Amino acid sequence: MDCYTANWNPLGDSAFYRKYELYSMDWDLKEELRDCLVAAAPYGGPIALLRNPWRKEKAASVRPVLEIYSASGMPLASLLWKSGPVVSLGWSAEEELLCVQEDGVVLVYGLHGDFRRHFSMGNEVLQNRVLDARIFHTEFGSGVAILTGAHRFTLSANVGDLKLRRMPEVPGLQSAPSCWTTLCQDRVAHILLAVGPDLYLLDHAACSSVTPPGLAPGVSSFLQMAVSFTYRHLALFTDTGYIWMGTTSLKEKLCEFNCNIRAPPKQMVWCSRPRSKERAVVVAWERRLMVVGDAPESIQFVLDEDSYLVPELDGVRIFSRSTHEFLHEVPVASEEIFKIASMAPGALLLEAQKEYEKESQKADEYLREIQELGQLTQAVQQCIEAAGHEHRPDMQKSLLRAASFGKCFLDRFPPDSFVRMCQDLRVLNAVRDYHIGIPLTYSQYKQLTIQVLLDRLVLRRLYPLAIQICEYLRLPEVQGVSRILAHWACYKVQQKDVSDEDVARAINQKLGDTPGVSYSDIAARAYGCGRTELAIKLLEYEPRSGEQVPLLLKMKRSKLALSKAIESGDTDLVFTVLLHLKNELNRGDFFMTLRNQPMALSLYRQFCKYQELETLKDLYNQDDNHQELGSFHIRASYAAEERIEGRVAALQTAADAFYKAKNEFAAKATEDQMRLLRLQRRLEDELGGRFLDLSLHDTVTTLILGGHNKRAEQLARDFRIPDKRLWWLKLTALADLEDWEELEKFSKSKKSPIGYLVRQGPSLHPIPPSGE
Amino acid sequence: MAAHLSYGRVNLNVLREAVRRELREFLDKCAGSKAIVWDEYLTGPFGLIAQYSLLKEHEVEKMFTLKGSRLPAADVKNIIFFVRPRLELMDIIAENVLSEDRRGPARDFHILFVPRRSLLCEQRLKDLGVLGSFIHREEYSLDLIPFDGDLLSMESEGAFKQVANMMIRMKREFTGSQNSIFPVFDNLLLLDRNVDLLTPLATQLTYEGLIDEIYGIQNSYVKLPPEKFAPKKQGDGGKDLPTEAKKLQLNSAEELYAEIRDKNFNAVGSVLSKKAKVISAAFEERHNAKTVGEIKQFVSQLPHMQAARGSLANHTSIAELIKDVTTSEDFFDKLTVEQEFMSGIDTDKVNSYVEECIAQKHPLIKVLRLVCLQSVCNSGLKQKVLDYYKREILQTYGYEHILTLHNLEKAGLLKPQLGGRNNYPTIRKTLRLWMDDVNEQNPTDISYVYSGYAPLSVRLAQLLSRPGWRSIEEVLRILPGPHFEERQPLPTGLQKKRQPGENRITLIFFLGGVTFAEIAALRFLSQLEDGGTEYVIATTKLMNGASWIESLMEKPF
Repeated sequence: MDCYTANWNPLGDSAFYRKYELYSMDWDLKEELRDCLVAAAPYGGPIALLRNPWRKEKAASVRPVLEIYSASGMPLASLLWKSGPVVSLGWSAEEELLCVQEDGVVLVYGLHGDFRRHFSMGNEVLQNRVLDARIFHTEFGSGVAILTGAHRFTLSANVGDLKLRRMPEVPGLQSAPSCWTTLCQDRVAHILLAVGPDLYLLDHAACSSVTPPGLAPGVSSFLQMAVSFTYRHLALFTDTGYIWMGTTSLKEKLCEFNCNIRAPPKQMVWCSRPRSKERAVVVAWERRLMVVGDAPESIQFVLDEDSYLVPELDGVRIFSRSTHEFLHEVPVASEEIFKIASMAPGALLLEAQKEYEKESQKADEYLREIQELGQLTQAVQQCIEAAGHEHRPDMQKSLLRAASFGKCFLDRFPPDSFVRMCQDLRVLNAVRDYHIGIPLTYSQYKQLTIQVLLDRLVLRRLYPLAIQICEYLRLPEVQGVSRILAHWACYKVQQKDVSDEDVARAINQKLGDTPGVSYSDIAARAYGCGRTELAIKLLEYEPRSGEQVPLLLKMKRSKLALSKAIESGDTDLVFTVLLHLKNELNRGDFFMTLRNQPMALSLYRQFCKYQELETLKDLYNQDDNHQELGSFHIRASYAAEERIEGRVAALQTAADAFYKAKNEFAAKATEDQMRLLRLQRRLEDELGGRFLDLSLHDTVTTLILGGHNKRAEQLARDFRIPDKRLWWLKLTALADLEDWEELEKFSKSKKSPIGYLVRQGPSLHPIPPSGE
Repeated sequence: MAAHLSYGRVNLNVLREAVRRELREFLDKCAGSKAIVWDEYLTGPFGLIAQYSLLKEHEVEKMFTLKGSRLPAADVKNIIFFVRPRLELMDIIAENVLSEDRRGPARDFHILFVPRRSLLCEQRLKDLGVLGSFIHREEYSLDLIPFDGDLLSMESEGAFKQVANMMIRMKREFTGSQNSIFPVFDNLLLLDRNVDLLTPLATQLTYEGLIDEIYGIQNSYVKLPPEKFAPKKQGDGGKDLPTEAKKLQLNSAEELYAEIRDKNFNAVGSVLSKKAKVISAAFEERHNAKTVGEIKQFVSQLPHMQAARGSLANHTSIAELIKDVTTSEDFFDKLTVEQEFMSGIDTDKVNSYVEECIAQKHPLIKVLRLVCLQSVCNSGLKQKVLDYYKREILQTYGYEHILTLHNLEKAGLLKPQLGGRNNYPTIRKTLRLWMDDVNEQNPTDISYVYSGYAPLSVRLAQLLSRPGWRSIEEVLRILPGPHFEERQPLPTGLQKKRQPGENRITLIFFLGGVTFAEIAALRFLSQLEDGGTEYVIATTKLMNGASWIESLMEKPF
């Protein structure tokens, strides 16, 4: 294993840096990198190249080509640039390519070169043109900062929710700053710029001059500045070849270094990792790469080719025409295990396992040594952790094997960390494959989360791999497989060269009844692409009718929507469609539609009962539903009319309707009611008191109570009240009056049809009905 | 607090916890102090799942009832409307919100639809120009409220009218839910009230059923006349009798109630007197307690004994109240007529008791209930008889009731006999709906709940579990509505092995309501040793004949 640390370079006493190859690039670059605008997304993201013809004095007549490659150099897209001159390229956190044009318009492209949208950075930018632009990332998303020809800054902290902010003016600024960068402090974006020997910090309110503490004297200009991935650290490169490193707040200096190179570097980026021992900056010139930190010596590499640096969370990616490398500080666990002559428990365990494979008794000796120190658990953990940081699968395997070997001698070592590492590495190795080309490190992967990684695979249309990963990790279907299938389907509907039938069938075959897949969402996408027929076909597969309706309405298939709504049994949905239809169709057509849908009709009737009485009447009329029409007029007779004539008229209409409905009984009863109403009116006029709306029974009772026995008799005869009931009525009334004489007279007048004598007790008063 | 929900074979407390959690989550979404404006109808059902204390914990400071014009003043940040999705309520809410906007500091408005969010209502709010005022518009699917260890209800009003809708909706929900959940129920029986119109019309004769018939149980609470519950103190002379109704909660959490609720009322008295003896004997124990240890043990049992004594006193009072009613002559007469109808005696003639009731203007609901019962027990009334009753009712109670009569006819409760055939005797005999030898004390058949009549719905359930409906196909053809059986195949991994002696569990869903007597009959079946099936009951509404008829009544003024 001696050779293993051959590419380790010490920086100072504490840290090692190593550089290893991720991919050998076989992209067929037509241009030199230095002639191109380059943008590479962090987290192993794609690389965009746009040959920059506008930089030269004479604008070339040929249109430039925008090319997008994966991190391994696989071509993803290539398109002729037809828009205006581009100043800067950059990737958003969603892996969308932002192209900032000279006129301040930002064009947004997808990973596959598909145009998404565009937005403008405002009038001021348009007038003064863009001098320089940066795309930066904050916790809210991705932002754009622009330096205009008038030396003013405009920025938007989140392009997803565009709010333009014009930064305050820098007093006395005559020329463009020598260098500038965006900072993000306390969730607010600032701009740091250098003009000659001065540094200015712009926030949204003010411009303040700042001085880094402990800056060496004699600086007349800053040539380059770099902010770390987490916005915590800042590095400044001066014209004296001096590098200052400190915190972004400019309150603390970390270290300084003098490289004695006065040429402005091409790029300068931070190279550190969360919890790293050393903070270092990588500076690149045309042919030289230098890693500097808090150490008297720097690490130097020679660059054979034109190279480009991409800062990452835990290191720096360096790609050129032929290779793609990763430079990072060696993580602690790896250092402990692989450092020459290391006696760390992990190193011993790895050794023990190797000896064990050789069937040597030394294995036992090493193992004892660890166990005597009681460090076996730690050893296993170290091996697991170190495996995560290895790029080569054979190294991962040997470390995991050692961990697994050590685990055998431990009683209760929880297996999840080991199992999870195996799973994670398998996923990582799969996405690092050059066909996929996402060279994530373990730390980046953990920071990114599996969900985002899956999204990125989906974005690259790598559906099968994404599904395999979901299945392998046993992610819940709704988050995993279903989601990916749905994305696939949404992509599928955009393939315009395939017929509607084929697409619908293909989608249904793949998706089947997978839970959590919303066919209506896919249909909505199809409709969005102008494929209405396909959308309708897809909706057929949607099991929840409720989901079908809103889209159908949107596509103006109201009648289909109505029958789907009815199928769903969701009355609310039916109402929604009905009201929609009502506005869409004329009254006649609307009623005709209703007629064919009995359930909708009955629901609409219910609705009308509370909301639109007149419509209800029309509906009944149309259906020749005379019975309901009769009931309707009965209700109306109570609701609308105060005057007796009006009420009688309404009742007459009701009676007519009842006759038409062949409901003789109801018709007669209604006629009786009219008669009674008129009579009651007369009684009120003649006798005073209240009679209206008393029942017939109560009218007679009231008459008796008022001593109008004759009239009562007459009324009873007119309305043919049966004898039995009349007797009860009289009895009750007379008892109430305590008119015992009349009662006695009455009892003797005729034979009682109700046999009240049976009940004759201490009182003649009939038993009061219960509950009263 | 809700322990009685978890006693059953299926732990319904899980359901309660779930809805409580959902409520808390919603309340927490609206940060800051809150006032809740209640759709009055919802307060009852909500009382079953969350007390005021829970709301208070989540910064609910005020509660109002939803009504027109402006809201009462309240110094809170959020105003939340808890409403059913009904258009008329939306109008009120809009009025509230608009009048609120004109004065004072801006509030955050939210709306919680129970049980379902409605596009229609939101459209209405939009038309009224207030939709944008609401920050959160959500739904709270309080569909099935657990009432007891084996009883769930949707408590939706107007239940009977919407049976068809519900049926379809329920079906969708049941098929829509994924069956990767371990199945709790072996069978689901959906029973439409249309199949059995008879049972609710008869007077329930179980203890709980009678409480409901006489006083009405609302959301497991009953309000009773206070006189009998006055604390008996010597020398008080009944001077200040409480005037406010006594409100009691009735559920199986109360040990004594759990024991007697489903008994025939005639069997309740003996249980109560036995209990009284046991309790007083237990209190007597104190004289035997000699040593300190014995006294300590006695004292430790005291709270439980006192609770038991309180519960006994309450139920003795209730039983006395009920007894006053059941021993009245009129109650007896009514019951006799009901039983005559149900056993098929003289159902085709005008009944003289009903006539008398009309002549004496007994409550209309009582009259309608009897007439409907007669109609159902005769497969419809002869036209002449029907017209006579209708005429009598209209003349006595007023012509406006023609609308109510029409509603009853639409519901099939009141109808002319068609084709001159009376099917009821066939149904009665095949399904053994009338049992002459009823043991009310130690029942052997479900017919004890109506002292003779075995509820048709429960008999169907009983026959389904054993021997199966194939034996009664002929009757099923006569009964209204189609019937269907459906087997849901389960993935083999989910099929559980039944332990020997373990009963199957059937979820029986009454679409259109269920009575307490039916519940009692089902519980009786669950307890049968050789029954083989246990029932969990779900329904759209807990009901009785009176509340049912009332839901169909229409008063135009």
